Amino acid sequence: MPTDKRIKDVMVGIFEYPHIPYWFSIDQAMRIIKVSFISAKKYPEPLAILVFDEKYNLLGTLTLKDMLRGLEPKFMRTPTGKAQVVDEDESALSLVWDSLFAKESKDLAKKPVNEVMTPAKFFIEPGDPLTKAAYMMIHHDLILLPVLENKKKFVGLVRMIEIFDELSEAILKE
Amino acid sequence: MEIIDRENHQKLYVQLIDIFKKKMGSKEWTVGSQLPTEEDLCKMYGLSRATVRAAVLELVRQGYLFRQQGKGTFVKQLATDELIMLTSFRELMLEPGVEFSTEVIAQTTMMAVGNIGNLLNISSDKHIIYIKRKTIVENKPVILQEIHIPLHICPHLLDEDITAQSLFGLFKKYKVEITRIRNYFGITYLSAEEAQAFNLTEGSPTLLLNQLFFSGETPVMYIRSVKRHDSFGFAIEFKKSASDERRFYVKR
Repeated sequence: MPTDKRIKDVMVGIFEYPHIPYWFSIDQAMRIIKVSFISAKKYPEPLAILVFDEKYNLLGTLTLKDMLRGLEPKFMRTPTGKAQVVDEDESALSLVWDSLFAKESKDLAKKPVNEVMTPAKFFIEPGDPLTKAAYMMIHHDLILLPVLENKKKFVGLVRMIEIFDELSEAILKE
Repeated sequence: MEIIDRENHQKLYVQLIDIFKKKMGSKEWTVGSQLPTEEDLCKMYGLSRATVRAAVLELVRQGYLFRQQGKGTFVKQLATDELIMLTSFRELMLEPGVEFSTEVIAQTTMMAVGNIGNLLNISSDKHIIYIKRKTIVENKPVILQEIHIPLHICPHLLDEDITAQSLFGLFKKYKVEITRIRNYFGITYLSAEEAQAFNLTEGSPTLLLNQLFFSGETPVMYIRSVKRHDSFGFAIEFKKSASDERRFYVKR
């Protein structure tokens, strides 16, 4: 492969991202995202929060998309979790959305984050090649991948932007 | 000689306080010995007179040093270790001699949200260590505590086994010296979660103790403790030095 770099060379520290326990609510997480990134005008893609259990084990990541999905009114959701797309009359739809948002979403924002986060199922090791991370991101639809040392200690995060940057650099040089 | 690190995020006078404490700890400055003059200290560390004075006055306030009019500043005999031991929560909230065990419910991280950030004087985008633990006496949960520590104060606490070691012992191990504790006693009402832990009814009145721990002027830990109302009295014993002893004991 065109690059000798390993995951440990491109990963970012876990404290670059806010941490919360799983019992925090979506609205608490929203406030944290705003203070940590949006108000501070810091946009390290992806904007995300790391969700931990009581013993400081990583349970998952919470992205803006996860939070918005958590606010989605119940009847709009299909069994697969995808919103039903109604594209005939968009102006009428926006009214429906507004009224639903006012009614239901504030209550939904009290839900704990572990109900809407993306569970951490896939991990990578510091010594792994970048291509492995790229492969996992593509095949599991991820933009953030936790780095575990010896399959146990959570030491960092690898983001799609760094993987893209390194791999594209190598391609464009050739 | 230790030097001041201007890249360090800590204020200069706080760094100077640490240097002075090390000198006293290593007995380079022994009890009763006189400190160099302010002017000499300014030259030694390349600091302004105001910074040196702030560090000296803080150590006078904390009881490490004393000043004598017209003579200078001297190292004082300390009694802080005793103060720390006697104000640990168990001694505050349990009768002396009661046997207890501790169950750690959570030892994780979160952000300094709500009033926690204000209390610890850090912004809400900073990480804190969150510990929740239960003290059990005669198989009955008696005290529930939520402990908040800014992560940068002692990041190692996340990896330490806190069931067997006291937090004070761990702070000492990592050279975080607690010099002042602000205690607030009050009455509160059990939340649903607390009531469940105590097996009592939600809304039952309970004894509340809020404690804010300082190292110098920096808040390093905030503990909120609730104690079930149907058990035991509580004891407070402050012991600063042999000549300044106050005891207070209440029993139901």
